[in-house]
Amino acid sequence: MNMTIQSNGHRGLFTLDVHFPLVIAVLTLGLAGVVLLYSVAGGDFSPWAWRHATRLLAGLFLMLFIAALDIRTIFAVSYLIFGIILILLLGVELFGVRSMGATRWLDLALVRVQPSEFIRFALILALARFYQSVHQTEVSRPLNILVPLLLIFVPCLLIFRQPDLGTMIMLAATGLSMMFLAGVRYRYFVIGGLGLLAAVPLVWQNMLAYQKERVLVFLNPERDPLGAGYHIIQSKIGVGSGGFWGKGLVEGTQSRLDFLPEKHTDFIFTIFAEELGFAGCLLLILVFAMVLFFLFQISRQVKSQYARLTVAGMGLSLSYYVAVNLLMVMGFAPVVGVPLPFVSYGGTSLLTFMAGIGVVLNLERNALTEMSRG
Amino acid sequence: MVQYDSEEISFARRSLIMGGLQLGLGAVVLGRLQYLQISQADTYTTLAEANRVKISPVIAPRGRIIDRNGIAIADNDTSFTLTIVPEQVPDLIGTLGELRELIGWSDEKLQRLSRYVRRQPKFKEIVLAKDLSWEAFAKVNLQLPFLPGVEPKLGEKRVYRHATSVAHLVGYVGPKTRKDIREFGNLPTEAVGQTGIEREFENILRGEAGVRHLEVNANGRTVRELSLEGGASGQDVQLTIDVDLQNFAAKALGRLSGSVVVLDTRNGDVLCMASSPSYDPNKFVSGIDVASWKSLLTHDRKPLMNKALRGQYAPGSTFKMIVALAALEAGVMSPKDKVACTGEFEYGSEKYHCWEREGHGELNLEEALVGSCDVYFYELALKTGIDRIEEMAARFGLGLPTGIGLLGEKNGTVPGREWKRARYDTGWRGGETVITGIGQGFLLATPLQLAAMTASLANKGVSVRPRLVAPVLAEGTSDSVQRDDLKISRRNMDIVDRGLFRAVNTPEGTGYASSLLINNHRMSGKTGTAQVRRISQAEREEGVIPNKDLDWHLRDHALFVGYAPHKNPRYAIAVVIEHGGGGAQVAGPIARDVMVHLLRREKATADKPAADIKAQAADEVRS
Repeated sequence: MNMTIQSNGHRGLFTLDVHFPLVIAVLTLGLAGVVLLYSVAGGDFSPWAWRHATRLLAGLFLMLFIAALDIRTIFAVSYLIFGIILILLLGVELFGVRSMGATRWLDLALVRVQPSEFIRFALILALARFYQSVHQTEVSRPLNILVPLLLIFVPCLLIFRQPDLGTMIMLAATGLSMMFLAGVRYRYFVIGGLGLLAAVPLVWQNMLAYQKERVLVFLNPERDPLGAGYHIIQSKIGVGSGGFWGKGLVEGTQSRLDFLPEKHTDFIFTIFAEELGFAGCLLLILVFAMVLFFLFQISRQVKSQYARLTVAGMGLSLSYYVAVNLLMVMGFAPVVGVPLPFVSYGGTSLLTFMAGIGVVLNLERNALTEMSRG
Repeated sequence: MVQYDSEEISFARRSLIMGGLQLGLGAVVLGRLQYLQISQADTYTTLAEANRVKISPVIAPRGRIIDRNGIAIADNDTSFTLTIVPEQVPDLIGTLGELRELIGWSDEKLQRLSRYVRRQPKFKEIVLAKDLSWEAFAKVNLQLPFLPGVEPKLGEKRVYRHATSVAHLVGYVGPKTRKDIREFGNLPTEAVGQTGIEREFENILRGEAGVRHLEVNANGRTVRELSLEGGASGQDVQLTIDVDLQNFAAKALGRLSGSVVVLDTRNGDVLCMASSPSYDPNKFVSGIDVASWKSLLTHDRKPLMNKALRGQYAPGSTFKMIVALAALEAGVMSPKDKVACTGEFEYGSEKYHCWEREGHGELNLEEALVGSCDVYFYELALKTGIDRIEEMAARFGLGLPTGIGLLGEKNGTVPGREWKRARYDTGWRGGETVITGIGQGFLLATPLQLAAMTASLANKGVSVRPRLVAPVLAEGTSDSVQRDDLKISRRNMDIVDRGLFRAVNTPEGTGYASSLLINNHRMSGKTGTAQVRRISQAEREEGVIPNKDLDWHLRDHALFVGYAPHKNPRYAIAVVIEHGGGGAQVAGPIARDVMVHLLRREKATADKPAADIKAQAADEVRS
């Protein structure tokens, strides 16, 4: 594929001339994660806080490295990255490591990675790349709808088989939102939405027992207060008992006395809410809102469709993760296993989100760069 | 051709829509957060506390029951208990199996336990074994690292030191029943007094449970103790009983069915209240087995009944003093007046007999008491009339509660015209006065009433109220005893006193076999033999069947009442042996032995410093 990139206002690699507030906001979130993980461990940097800090530092370098890359390089490898991650995902299907009832991890000699986290990043780039090459007048043509749908649903299917319902829904929502932003006709979304509703019974039948149970318990946690509903009830108690000012770091009784499950990963916000209260939560949500606002702003500044869709895709994806995670721990969404970006412990998730911000920073630096429509 | 907006404009519009969606999500998140952390903060704070804090009661040690010398009758021992929390046990069957090896449960017991444990909620602490032996408890403790979820606990267990001799008095504690919960509320205590002093003084003995707040983690493991509030040990209850004397009396009763009551005539202290046969109250503490319970319930000699308080017997000849006093006070008979006893007495169409078939010949009142002449008292009763007899009996506390106010005491019966009208709706008959004269007929009295009556006789017409619980004296105050003057002339009291002295201490007295001499002290008293069946005319003609040839429950009751020393008496005693035969042969000697024991001990006390004696008495009792 032939592409010509007009580089406008390209800024130097080592000058760190990037969207500084965004970097600070993201690091603030990451550091909040370090502090919380320190607290969750009962006031100890091991086992989580220290490693989270290390990963945050590595993520910072990765983010700045990506920000400093030639935008043309990223543009050029958009499909390639998607292809590679898709192959990794297939690898999980074939050689994955099982853990906690699901096969999500791939042992790559040095590190154990979760390709299902990477694929979100790759899908955003691939979809943006696709729409860069399709003219606005042609996005709603059948073939031009089919290709993005394939890009979205092939990995979705693989993730569904792991099984990881949460990640799959996040991925599908991100992809479909990008199709919407790319200009696919409204009526298709209406039709698609109705079709989805019709498919609910079918999906229900194909869900695993534990997934069904999670949904049922979500609808009524009291259904099983000591079993599946336990997480939701205990998490709500944690959040609610925080009150306005919280119980103070390391003082959260729900956390310290092991009433909370997965408190260092998906349920970290519960600890945040319990120990730092409504005031702390408002601050945290404010920082997330700032990040999303920056991304929104950048998406409207950049000149190419590729850049617009990439930045918007990253923003939407991030907002879905944050919203679903927060609503989940507060008992307003099913427990689907979605981490809180930058804050939850988990290397793959942290690095993927930081790489995504890196791409955004890169595109912001190259805001005025037009790209080939090929 | 459709007019398309430029990509930039289309994106701008659609990104605003998505931005709106994100704001909407944000609003939902904030709304939910506000709801949980602001609106419902109190609710969830409470829930978090409930999660975290386990409130466990700290049961106060139960007060002891001690005798007049401070010797423990009901005491507390350490008990060894084993509990298990199923959810903390990885291999329940295996763990139970191991415990079985250590404790030595039977197959059946193991199966019953594992069925029971599986039915209980997993997070609940279940008691596996109570009252483990120290050996088994130590073994389990040693193996504890390999028995997760199993917790050995130290507790308190009620123990009765002089078990059978005090059983009826002290009663026993048992597992809390539904009735206990209604009466005392659902208190955390496991053992509640079921009968006797344990029941009557439950509220004093129990004390007040404290509350311990424990911080627990999600597995229910205690992390630390947050606070310990309140709680007060139960108070001791001191009885007037003298355990040494009580034990002696119980031994003297042996296998006989009956009771011995000893009162201190000066203050009404019940020094001894033994009832026989008895049972081991320790068996009730952790719940008695059905078979033992049934055999206690159905035993014909009623081992569960405190006969001293609840047994009602015709007083027989021990009632003759009352008739005598009623007559003397009314002046219907002079002490010198004589009645001729031929062995028979006719009234209306009925013939009444004297125990002395040959007849006593001529005798006056004092001699009639000494020889316990029935004919004399038939005559005397008729002359006195039932109304005066009834009045005098009431003055001596018969037919009325003694005021001990405990243990379901019975009132006995003193019959009279009104009583008969109310009870049978018929008039009083003269023949009934005749037999009332010798303490038979409708008359009923408890051994405690007889002892109280005897104390009034010993005090020459001054009554004291029997008491079982030692008064708690504030410092500097002295024991105030309620003494009531029965308003009987000293002269008449002296006549009866002389009669009772001679009845025991002269060869012609019916109680001569019970005479004693300790430290120049003698005992005065009166025997009684109460008939429980009607002897037909035909049997009289053929010869009355001796007691030993009768079924146990048809034999006469044997009674004896007395007091000692004969001058300035200090102790009054009443002995009733159910279906024991003659009072002189069965009841009197027991009274004599008990009194001898008491007076001998008193003599020893007089010779030695008091402190020594108490210690020695305590030692003897313990050994």
